[in-house]
Amino acid sequence: MFRKLIGICTVLAIFLAACSPAQATPAPTIIPTKASMVEAPTAVPTAERTATVLVDGLGREVKFTNPVLTIVSMAPSNTEILYAIGAGAQVTGRDEFSDYPAEAKSLPSVGGSMGQYSYEQIAAIRPDLVLAGGINTPEQVKALEDLGINVFYLGNPSTLEEMYANLETVAKLTGHEAEAATLVDSLKARVKAVDDKLAGVADQPVVFYEIDASNPNKPYTTGPGTFIDLLIARAGGQNLPGLTDAYPQVSLEQIVLANPAIILLGDAFYGTTPEAVAARPGWAQIAAVTSSRVLPFDDNLVSRPGPRLVDGLEALAQAIHPELYK
Amino acid sequence: MRHRLLPLFWTIIFLVFAVLLSIAVGSVFIPPADLWRLLTGKFSGTLPEPLATYALIIVSIRLPRTVMVALTGAALGASGAAYQGLFRNPLADPYLIGVASGAGLGAVIAMSIQWPYSFWGLMAIPMAAFLAALLTVFIVYSLARVGRTVPTTNLILAGVAFGSFATALTSFLMLRSSGEIRRALGWLLGGASQAGWMPVLGILPYLIIGLSILLLGGHALNLLQFGDEQAHQLGLPVTRARTIILVAASLATAAAVAFAGIIGFVGLIVPHVMRMWFGGDYRRLLPLSMVGGAAFLLIADVLARVVLAPQEIPLGIITALAGAPFFLWVLRRSKNQGYW
Amino acid sequence: MLRIENLSVSYGARRVLHDVSLTVENGELLALIGPNGAGKSTLVRAVSGFIPAQSGSASKNGTNLLTAPASERARIISVVPQVAFLPPAFTVWETVLLGRTPYLNFLGQVSAADETIARQSLQRVDALELIDRRVGELSGGEQQRVLLARALAQSTPILLLDEPTSHLDLHHQVGLLELVRTLAHHDGLAVLVALHDLNLAARYADRIALMVDGQVKALGTPNEVLRPELISEAYHLPVQVILNPLDQSPLVLPGSPKE
Repeated sequence: MFRKLIGICTVLAIFLAACSPAQATPAPTIIPTKASMVEAPTAVPTAERTATVLVDGLGREVKFTNPVLTIVSMAPSNTEILYAIGAGAQVTGRDEFSDYPAEAKSLPSVGGSMGQYSYEQIAAIRPDLVLAGGINTPEQVKALEDLGINVFYLGNPSTLEEMYANLETVAKLTGHEAEAATLVDSLKARVKAVDDKLAGVADQPVVFYEIDASNPNKPYTTGPGTFIDLLIARAGGQNLPGLTDAYPQVSLEQIVLANPAIILLGDAFYGTTPEAVAARPGWAQIAAVTSSRVLPFDDNLVSRPGPRLVDGLEALAQAIHPELYK
Repeated sequence: MRHRLLPLFWTIIFLVFAVLLSIAVGSVFIPPADLWRLLTGKFSGTLPEPLATYALIIVSIRLPRTVMVALTGAALGASGAAYQGLFRNPLADPYLIGVASGAGLGAVIAMSIQWPYSFWGLMAIPMAAFLAALLTVFIVYSLARVGRTVPTTNLILAGVAFGSFATALTSFLMLRSSGEIRRALGWLLGGASQAGWMPVLGILPYLIIGLSILLLGGHALNLLQFGDEQAHQLGLPVTRARTIILVAASLATAAAVAFAGIIGFVGLIVPHVMRMWFGGDYRRLLPLSMVGGAAFLLIADVLARVVLAPQEIPLGIITALAGAPFFLWVLRRSKNQGYW
Repeated sequence: MLRIENLSVSYGARRVLHDVSLTVENGELLALIGPNGAGKSTLVRAVSGFIPAQSGSASKNGTNLLTAPASERARIISVVPQVAFLPPAFTVWETVLLGRTPYLNFLGQVSAADETIARQSLQRVDALELIDRRVGELSGGEQQRVLLARALAQSTPILLLDEPTSHLDLHHQVGLLELVRTLAHHDGLAVLVALHDLNLAARYADRIALMVDGQVKALGTPNEVLRPELISEAYHLPVQVILNPLDQSPLVLPGSPKE
């Protein structure tokens, strides 16, 4: 009985730690980026509304009147997408974790922490559409469907091209095709700029991206299948060799062996600092530590599958190849 | 006769109160006046807003959820009482022989597969959990059997061993498929994971079978309190009775866990409290634990919806946090009366 | 009457009862004596069907009790166990009522007749004043009497007792055995009692069976069985047997092991 109690309390502690943003110091992005493409929400489109059908990420045929006028977003990435393509004025509710852009925070929350949403709140808002994302489960989609609420499930992209396609899909739903097209063009241009800068650069420093180091001898990092892994490569670096899982736990020995030139602290949001890393036993000899290239990093830029991934790419490139940005 | 039924009467009153509370309260505040109109009035045509939304919330969200939570609580309460009687152990709960660990493993394995979005696809995880739970009981029972008898010590040992194995495997799988870890953790912490009437219909047949058998097993459980030998000598077919009760309790628990995840403490605390207040006669204890379990879980669910609204807390966390101090308080009040 | 024929019981590979045959007549009190490990308790438990027998039978009027369904068997044989676990929260009344189980439906519903029988049983063992007490609060002797009352409530023609006096003081030992003898002689029950106290056996039993190593070594009246040579050999201890001046029954006096 006590075993179970301790087990439950431990899990609760993990959850509470995961959900308590207030205490942690907000991590600054390492270098001021270009302003993200968040435009002031344009007026709600007044085009004539027509009935349309789109197939969503779960294979469901979703019928809706185009454009959708009131939307509840169930994932922070979806919130960012909606604002980025100019549909901010159409968003009437969001999940607990949606904190970007700042305007989103003033919208009513519908839950989402610990995996539980309040269907009552969503029903009370009566949106035309609920935009669900990769972090939502088919059961949650079904529950809303059963309440007579229209749901569109935006599947997680695995490449930048798929992310652009998602932007266009959401634009079709909300009647902002023109803004989305402009946005996609500018994102592509920025990505190309990074590619051009890195063309011909032979040096690919090893990068260690840390997402959790509660046990500093066995920190968690990101591997193949994550955007971070993809973007590190795109930004002219290389991830730790030999990783196979998406969120593997690696031993300190592996890190020492790989001797990364740069360490990025994706867990800076939870209070990890470069000084703390340098003080960890066994970490002092790592190249990144001796050359003071341990940098805090805003994890949201590379883990939310939205337009800010490009911000993340640029930030990574500046961190990995600062000499190109002087 | 009236005196003997009084405890059940009051417990049912408590349940009715809990049901009303569960319908009236949620993360959206419904003004009592509107609530009254909706519950008592007759309406023709479509309702005006906001009444239409309130009606939707009450009928489509709160009502099925209330029924589901009540059934789950009833199953866990009754099974808990049955397990405590079968094993003659105050620490016994419905998960003693590994039902929870097995169900968790089944659910996590099912979660690692991308099921199509269809009726059966959505049923995959609860079905996997249910079948895995029953399979676990079967395996543990087979491991524990010695000739024609199934000694309780063997059952407990086999259950703990297999349960630990299943839990370890579950944790390993969760860490490997990190995309599903959130979903798995949410399921394991308990709570109504699927909305609507489908879960209710899904578990109803198993609950009816399991709980009916349990309610009829009170006399047998009384006899078993004296040990297998005395029960045998008094004329109880011991192995058969224990097997039937074990299967019925496990069936009810597996059904409860399939949709609701692992909700702890209900099966442990409710029978204890009922025993403390109303005595250890299992003919009374089983129905009291059933009704009391339903009421207890409903109250916990109301708290889960309201404490951090609009954020909902997984039910298993509420029962653990609220249950432990409550139990300690009741224990102190009983003043060592040797109620066991 | 209880007819035990060629009963053999093994624990795994170890044979503990070898081909035991015995009859207990109606109205007779038969005492089972023998050293530790002789198989007395095993015999009682095997006859009641709790321990499976490898071969042989125990029957009454042709009904093999070892294969009969549970409730039928429980209407024929009742047992007063040796060291009995009693759940402390049950009251004496509830405990004795459970003796009526073989006559109740599976819900355990009790009729007025059942309650009368239970009450009478408590009266016979002189425990009526304990009726509302919780069993966990009783002394060893009181618990033993409650167990006997329960067995009486079972209203069976055959009664088995497994060393019922081991936790009782002198007063209660005598009281219990007096009652048991009355049940045999007056009520006509066939009573089989496993006893470790040879002199109590001598005083109360109509016949005695001496068991050693799972076999019946001697069977007969107390005078026939409680002979020095038989007892000395069985218990590996020299004994003297004299006549009890009070009732002319044999009195066994243990000697010193060194002789």
